Amino acid sequence: MTVENAESAGAVGKPWRISASNVLVGVAVSILALLVFLAVFADVIAPYDPLRQNLINALQGPSARHWLGTDDLGRDVLSRLIYGCRIAVIAATEATAIAVALGVPIGLFIGYRGGWWDWVVMRIVEAIVSIPGIMVAIVIIAILGPGLHRAMIALGILFSTSFLRLARGVVLAEREEIYVRSARVIGASDSRILFRHIFPNIAPPLIVQVTLTVGAVLLSEAGLSFIGLGVQPPQASWGTMLNTAAAFMQLNWFLSIPPGIAIILTVLSVNLLGDVLRDSIGRGIAATAPEGRTATFEPSRSAASPAARPETRENEVLRVEGLEVMVGSDPGLPIITDLSFSIAQGETLGLVGESGSGKTMTGLAILGLMGAGLRITRGSIVLDGIDLRCLASAEIEKLRGDEVAMVFQDPTTSLNPAFTVGSQIAEVLRAKQGLSQRQAWDRAVALIERVGIPQPGARAKAYPHELSGGMAQRIAIARALSCNPSLLIADEPTTALDVTVQQEILDLFRDLQDEFGMAILFITHDLAVAADICDRISVMYAGEMVEMAGVDTLFHDPKHPYTAGLLSAMPHASDRNPPLPTIRGNVPRPGAWPAGCRFSNRCDFAVATCKQPVALTSGERMVRCLRADQLDLRPGT
Amino acid sequence: MFRLILQRLLALAPLLFIVSVLTFSFTSLLPSDPVDLILGDTGTEEQHEMLRERMGLNEPIHVRYLQWLGRALQGDLGSSYFNSVSVMGAVMQRLPVTLSLTAVSAFIAIVVGVAAGVAAALHPRSWVDRFATLGATFGQAIPNFWFGLILVAIFAVSLRWFPATGFTPITESPWEWLRSVILPSIALGTSSSAAIARQVRSAMVGVLQQDYVRAARAQGLSARRVLFKHALTNAMIPVVAVLSFQITVLLGGALIVEQVFAINGLGTLAIAAVRQQDIPMLQGLVLVMVGLVIAVQLATDVIYGLLNPKARPT
Repeated sequence: MTVENAESAGAVGKPWRISASNVLVGVAVSILALLVFLAVFADVIAPYDPLRQNLINALQGPSARHWLGTDDLGRDVLSRLIYGCRIAVIAATEATAIAVALGVPIGLFIGYRGGWWDWVVMRIVEAIVSIPGIMVAIVIIAILGPGLHRAMIALGILFSTSFLRLARGVVLAEREEIYVRSARVIGASDSRILFRHIFPNIAPPLIVQVTLTVGAVLLSEAGLSFIGLGVQPPQASWGTMLNTAAAFMQLNWFLSIPPGIAIILTVLSVNLLGDVLRDSIGRGIAATAPEGRTATFEPSRSAASPAARPETRENEVLRVEGLEVMVGSDPGLPIITDLSFSIAQGETLGLVGESGSGKTMTGLAILGLMGAGLRITRGSIVLDGIDLRCLASAEIEKLRGDEVAMVFQDPTTSLNPAFTVGSQIAEVLRAKQGLSQRQAWDRAVALIERVGIPQPGARAKAYPHELSGGMAQRIAIARALSCNPSLLIADEPTTALDVTVQQEILDLFRDLQDEFGMAILFITHDLAVAADICDRISVMYAGEMVEMAGVDTLFHDPKHPYTAGLLSAMPHASDRNPPLPTIRGNVPRPGAWPAGCRFSNRCDFAVATCKQPVALTSGERMVRCLRADQLDLRPGT
Repeated sequence: MFRLILQRLLALAPLLFIVSVLTFSFTSLLPSDPVDLILGDTGTEEQHEMLRERMGLNEPIHVRYLQWLGRALQGDLGSSYFNSVSVMGAVMQRLPVTLSLTAVSAFIAIVVGVAAGVAAALHPRSWVDRFATLGATFGQAIPNFWFGLILVAIFAVSLRWFPATGFTPITESPWEWLRSVILPSIALGTSSSAAIARQVRSAMVGVLQQDYVRAARAQGLSARRVLFKHALTNAMIPVVAVLSFQITVLLGGALIVEQVFAINGLGTLAIAAVRQQDIPMLQGLVLVMVGLVIAVQLATDVIYGLLNPKARPT
């Protein structure tokens, strides 16, 4: 039972559902058609008179003469069941028609008029809805008296509240639409606007509500007849048949089966049709989802070429070598290939690239939290000398928080809205370091103070939604650093913040790094931010690294055309006038990567040989371009 | 906490007032004349008139309402036209029965619903998931009283594990009480548990995709802790919001299911009151039920506020 496994929950196999549901719809329609047929031709089809008693043959089981047996008065159960269809159809039609006829006009009217009418009617509706429905029906039946038609009036009044609210809701939504306003401007009368312009919008939800109501009416009618307030004996309805069955349960339990099955099948069929209608109407409204592009991945992975080894650094904290991440079942689709880098203590490595280049996935891969369907298929991740790929998930869990922690992009969603920020930091300290509640809270307050939040004691008791974005991000940073990890992964930690706050957070990172000495993997799409905080920058494109260099080197002498493109797309405060050059096109999705150099289809310098796999050069300065030595990509040249 | 309760109470009190007006005016529409009901065809014209005067029936309806409301606020809901027992007494005598069914079925619905919903969210397309979906589909279509009949046939008549009829008060014997309410409560609670399971499942699937779940895991908290503390707390918020509706449905269902098990609860009282045109009894029943619904609403509102800090008064 892991949290990760649950993430693909939304994915449901479509093809199976469609074919199965088509069959089900056919069955449902057939059942309802049969119901109506039996209701209409009950007199012809029923083998016996449903009211004819034969006390000698009472309470018999199924036989050739009486297919479904007989009841306590010797009446034929099958015949009574068939006549029950008639009652069911009458009941459903009557009550639903009353509910629609009563609810829709009132709802339209109060929605359109608003004001006092609306207020008074809605308070009454609220009051009715707060009483259990069956009690409302019972009170109305007390006024009208029992019997099929009166009980259906009662149910019609009861269920009219849902139609009333539906119609009112649609009117409120449509009233301010431009076409309605313009109709009003050209002098259309209120009734014309209501029935000509607004009413057609009610039809789709109305149809769905009708199917729901029919099902509910059938169940309620059976219930009311069962307790003797609906259809009155000796008339045959499914509910009265169940009433009889209840009395003779000990003698002949089979009596309860036929009417029960009849009710269940009918209601199931109606509800199923309602679901199908709702789905198809909903689909009409919703924008068509983009079609999934077929994967055209060719297995010409650059991983086939020998993995470049990043140079060994002093006090190395993290070393990633030849990392490959795949999505989906075997063989799957590569998301990240041949990724290698290392970070030393107190160093900040920037991971830069457009969205979709695999930066965040790299961070999650280090944590072992990539999610369902994703797995590391090659390479190694060595943290503090421990190869994480060799660890069991429980052992990685121990390292998380203690040795490596992560700060996420949006602080307002990465903090749990249900708990105070102080308790979220204290929880980590208690779970990871075994502190007592008191100690953990004090330490949490101290950390909150350390990240520069005034009045830390009071702020610790605040909930995330009570804090500004910048303050929430400071809390998230405090939580990440609470166990003094040797590696901090910061995933776009300033992107969701105001520009002024951005700078403060960057300063905080620098400050904290001086004090705690952790290595930082700083993921960003913003080269200006990377230039500000990073010692070295690694540029990622379409799941692989294309260049790595120290900040100054990279900015002054980019070797890869993609890096150069990113640099030229950076806005400079000094020269605003010329339009910013952009890199044409988008990062190709995994599975749609071009063969060879993955940037080749967007590169101005691409030549025929770029279609071959390109290896990354090793050493301090790494680049993945065949023409790296031929091109002069320095800015301003 | 105190302010939260007070705030919700103030919001819900007007509802009770509106229901009382509605109940009173609707039951005044009853076709029969209470004086005729009480005296029958016997008695002279003068006796009829005297009784009418004594019952205050000659007063205009708003005066009668205010008199009735004044007494109701003091806990006096009048007495039955039929056998002149106190309405409050009769309702209070039956209330524990219906409350037992509602409470036990709500307990079953919540426990089974949450457990199945979480399991279905964690293992999509597993047997738990399919079973919960199937259960929800059938739960909406199976009449609870019919399900009760089937349970009686299997577990009371054939297996003799539970009594087929009757109710034992909890004060008499907690064990026998549980035995007497378990079958009707299962009959009542099953469809609600399926509905709750569906809500929990969809809420949980949404919450598990939230950043804070991943962030808590990134912080090295165990999957179990993240699931049951961080995710479930948030997933329960939308579920609790509709819980009072489910419990209202259970309360209404109890009135009918009582009949299957020949249990003398509010349902039996209500059916008799309809047949006898017993106005004070019907008024009292509706008021007490709305009181229950409002109490449940208050409880779920407070729980909602505790789970969701954004809903607390500031």
